[in-house]
Order: sequence, then structure tokens, then C-alpha cells
Amino acid sequence: MTNTTQRPRTPNRKRSSTQTNRETLVATRERARNYRSRARSADLMGILCWVSVAVSIALYLAYSGASQFTDPGGMVTAVGIVTGLAGTDLILLMLVLAARIPWIDHTVGQDRAIALHRRLGKPALYLILAHAVLLTIGYSISDGTNVIAETISFFGLGSDMILGYVGLGLLVLVVITSVITVRRHFAYEAWHLIHLLSYVAVLVALPHQLSIGGVLADGTLQRVYWIALYVAAFGSILVFRFAVPLVRTFRHRLRVEHIETIAPGVFSIRLHGSDLRRLGAEGGQYAIWRFWSWRTWWHAHPISFSAMPTDRTIRLTVRELGRGTTRISRLRAGTFVSIEGPYGIFVDQARTAPYLSVIAAGIGVTPIRAMLEHAHLRPGEATILLRGTDQSEAYLWHEIGQIAQNTSASAFSMLGPRPRHVSTWMSAHALEHGITLESTFPHLHDSDLFICGPTAWADEVVADARDAGLPEHRIHIERFDS
Amino acid sequence: MRKRAIAASIVSSSVVVLVGWQIGTHTQAAESSATLAIPAPTPSSRASASPSATPAPLATPAPPATSTTAPAPSPNAPATTNTFTGSVASTRYGNVQVQITVSGGKISDVTALQLTNDDSRSAQISNRAAPILRQEVLAAQSANVDSVSGATYTSDGYLKSLQSALDQAGL
Repeated sequence: MTNTTQRPRTPNRKRSSTQTNRETLVATRERARNYRSRARSADLMGILCWVSVAVSIALYLAYSGASQFTDPGGMVTAVGIVTGLAGTDLILLMLVLAARIPWIDHTVGQDRAIALHRRLGKPALYLILAHAVLLTIGYSISDGTNVIAETISFFGLGSDMILGYVGLGLLVLVVITSVITVRRHFAYEAWHLIHLLSYVAVLVALPHQLSIGGVLADGTLQRVYWIALYVAAFGSILVFRFAVPLVRTFRHRLRVEHIETIAPGVFSIRLHGSDLRRLGAEGGQYAIWRFWSWRTWWHAHPISFSAMPTDRTIRLTVRELGRGTTRISRLRAGTFVSIEGPYGIFVDQARTAPYLSVIAAGIGVTPIRAMLEHAHLRPGEATILLRGTDQSEAYLWHEIGQIAQNTSASAFSMLGPRPRHVSTWMSAHALEHGITLESTFPHLHDSDLFICGPTAWADEVVADARDAGLPEHRIHIERFDS
Repeated sequence: MRKRAIAASIVSSSVVVLVGWQIGTHTQAAESSATLAIPAPTPSSRASASPSATPAPLATPAPPATSTTAPAPSPNAPATTNTFTGSVASTRYGNVQVQITVSGGKISDVTALQLTNDDSRSAQISNRAAPILRQEVLAAQSANVDSVSGATYTSDGYLKSLQSALDQAGL
């Protein structure tokens, strides 16, 4: 059963069309400028990543020249040292990517930064393993001993080497527990605790880097650069993951004010705090919340703002997914709340086209709701499609309908289950009636498409959008269950 | 934009690596010309394939010549034992300095006062090389010995310092 209702366009035609066109032109130009500057920043980030790896190789070459490549032992040793430097550089990059640096979040979004962080994990581990293996072989060739004797002699090099082995062991543990099939067996918190050991792994590996080989010897520029790299990586973690959230938490003093069930298994939390405009939250962003009650403090939740924060209140809307979220629904008023964020580029500011197409399903309406509230929309600029299996998923829809009415946007809903044997984001009924993305969104090719909903569903929408020829930078997606 | 970024990454990374290589070869050239100033162990014709196992047997042909001259001064000064300290030879892995003990016109001992030890690995290498070099020098009674493979810098520095000690001793 498809319930396709077009909201009445409010007669807001008092403005002359030329006025509207000028506004559109100005907005479009500004968006194009924003997009170009973001794309440049993204390019710069990519270049910096590659160059940092190149620098780690250059560090060694500047030290050795061609002298190490003359005999087999020296050659293996040289490659072993380079893999160690490059691997460590990748790990430090991974720390930077996970540090939630505002520049990175504004440029590509924290989700893409974390995706890159994940992709670097295995290469980094392989490089570090190659470093250990190759150096043992290279040294044993040069010393004319065997690999086992060489390994034993490594322990004679002092505690730095032992720490190096400890770092290696921890690194292996961290990467193995992060491989998806293994990670499933751990609770998120247990996994995260193990994951934090990577900080220890990188730190305990430092002494042997500085004392065993000559590349980073005392008084060299290489040593200065390397230590600066360590300071930058750990500094950004310290500042953006610990200091900034701490300062914000104690500045705004957020407390739970009221929790209200708005649909079966869905509830809105109203938080009360002070000076909340200083958070600078944009509609569509999320933050990572921790509710400091006995049973919930150990669990951090990434939750979107479901309305624009006022100076004193914040509203979040949550669907019960597991025990953790159920416990939140029973929080008492007055519970202290800490905040990390706001993060995300699922915002009006990230748009690049003159029109706006929005599609949301289930709990995915929350950031959409806030984003639409925050956006300055011309009459008729936005087209909104809300998707749900049945009426129980229609929460917040009336609020979105209200915004649509105020901005003369077209809002549609599509209710009904998906067809059984076809993979599509649409309802069986809509599919039968030949509805497509393009028929739903008349300005699709002149608009940014904002998609928010369950991952599998959202992927279907993205696939359709790509098929329709929408360029990548106009597809904005926020996934809700990863 | 993306393609440009990839191109820029490749170009700038290559430049960085090349600059590193250039710096490395230049400093290498500067350093090796300094170390080459020593009386290098060039005349040896044999291949130094196995360094640690048998340095002595092949070096023995040389000592007989020296030892035949040795008995001559020995009657006058059988008990005179002098030590001579060589100059400090600096290598990229650290300084090397040796001291020789001369008794009866013969090198009776070589002691390393300093060995390359800028980093743990260098120290490990020089600790391995020093006893071999000492053996070779005592057998050859000169600085004219092979350098230990895998410890080229240590050997060069060691023999350079040794030669200056030998010069002082007038051997």
C-alpha cells in the first residue's frame, strides 16, 4: 500500500521569480566555492598521506645513500629498515585519522576517515612484520650466523629491543581483533579496550627505533622529524579525543531533562545544558554521548541531533537496538551526559547543487529532520521522500511535513514492505507502479541527494542514484548501523 | 580533481625520495673520501668470503718475515714493553681508537679504546669485528689485513687508528 501524498504548496509566490533566481545563483556560486575548497583540502590530505610515506623512505636513503645496497645482507637489512619506517608512518597516520581532527571531519567526514583508517591497518601490520623478519635475516647474513642465533642476540641489544618485540605482539593482537570476522565475537567495549593497546604498541616501539639503528641517531634531522611525527599523532589524539570533549562536557554541563516514547521502541531524549550555541552544531550532525548512570556510563553512543539545539536544550531521538539503548530509555532525569562532537558533514553546508533531494527510512529521519530545519530553503527547493514499512515507523514525519509546508517543499511518503525477491529500496507496490528515483525527485539531476537509513537499504538508493548518473559528490549518505 | 591529486602525490613523493637519495649519496661520498685517507688494506688478493672462521691460517705466511727480524733486537731489550695509542678515526657509526702494546719490537697486543657505538646495532657489529681484527693484526704484525665483512666501517677505522699507532712505534 503506497501512500503517496503531495503536501499542498503554500502560496508563497509573493516573491518575484527574478529574486528567487538571484538567490539561487548566489547560493549556487557559494556552494561551488565551498565544494572546490573542500575538494582541494581532500586532495591535499591524500597527497600528505602519500608524501609522509615517501618521507619515511627518504629518511633512510638520506642516511644510507647507496652504500647499503652492495651486498645481499646489507640489501635485506635496508629493505627491512624501510618497511619498519613506512609501517610505523602508516600507524601514525592511522592515529591521526582516528583523532577526529576538525579539519579532517569537515573535509571528508569522520566516517570516511575511519574507513581509510581501517584500510591502512593490514598493510601497516604486514610492513611491520616484514621489518622484523627481514632485519633478522639481513643481520644474520651480515654476521654470518643463523636466524635463531641472531634473534637471541637481539635480546642482547638491551631492553629497547624487548620493548620492540612487545610492541609487535600488541600490534598483531590489535589487528587480529579488528578483522571483521574476529571482531564480531567481541563486545564493542572489549574490542575497543584491546584496540587502545595500539597506542601502547606504537609508544613502546619508539625506543628501539631511536637506539638500535643509525637512521634516527642522536643529532640527526631524521630524529627530529620522527619525534615530531610522534608528537603530532599523539598530540592530536590527546587534544581532539580527550581535551576538547572534556572541555565541552564541563562547559555545557548537559543533563537528561526528559525522555518521551514517540513510537514503539523509539524515544526522544531532551537534554538540558548551558551556552549550547557554542557547540556550533549544524543540522544533520551527530555527537558521541555517554550517559553517566551506573548501568550506562561505559557505553558511548553516536546519536544524531533530531532537532537544531537551542541555547539551552538538545533533542536526540533513539531507536532501541540492544540492551544499551534500552537502558538509556530508562535513564532518570538529571543524569549527567558527556559529549564528543558534534561531527559529520551530512549538513546543508556540504551541498553542491541548487536543489535538494532527501530520502530517509526508519530512524534515519532524525538527522534529516535537523538538517532540513537548519537549511535555508527557497520555496520548492527541496523534495523529501520518507520511507517506512508501516505506520509505526512514521515518527517525526509530521515535523518534517511541517518544515516542508513552511518551505513549500514537496514531501512524499512510501509505506509498505520491500518485495521479497527483488533487491530494491522501494516498496513492492511502488516498484510495480514504475516509480523511480527520477520520477520521485523531479530535480534529481540538479540536486544533492541526502540519504539516511539502514545500511543495506541506503546502499540500494546509492546504487540507483549512481545508475541515474548522479555524480559521487552529490550523494550524501549517513549510515546508521555500522 | 582526483586525477590531479594522484599525479601530484606521485610527483611529490618521487621528489621526496629522490632528494633523500641525493642527500644520502652526497654525505656518503663526503664520508667515504675521509675514511679512504687511511692506508687501506688493498694489497690482499684473496677473497674475504668467510670472515670469522679462518682469518689466521692464510695470514701466517707474512709473520715469519717479521719474526725473523724480531730476535735481533730482543737481546738488548727483552723486557721493554711500550704502549702506543693510535689517533681517533671517525666513521659514520662512531669513533674508533686502538692502543697497541709493543714488546721486543713486536705487536704483542691490540686493545680497542673506542669502537663504533653510535647505536646498538653498530656496537654489536664492532664487538663482533674487534676480536677478529685483533687476531689478524697479531698474526700479520701490520695493519695490512683484510677488513671484516659486514663491519667495513669499523675495520677501516680500526686499521686507520692502528696504522697511526704503528707509525708512532716506528714499526
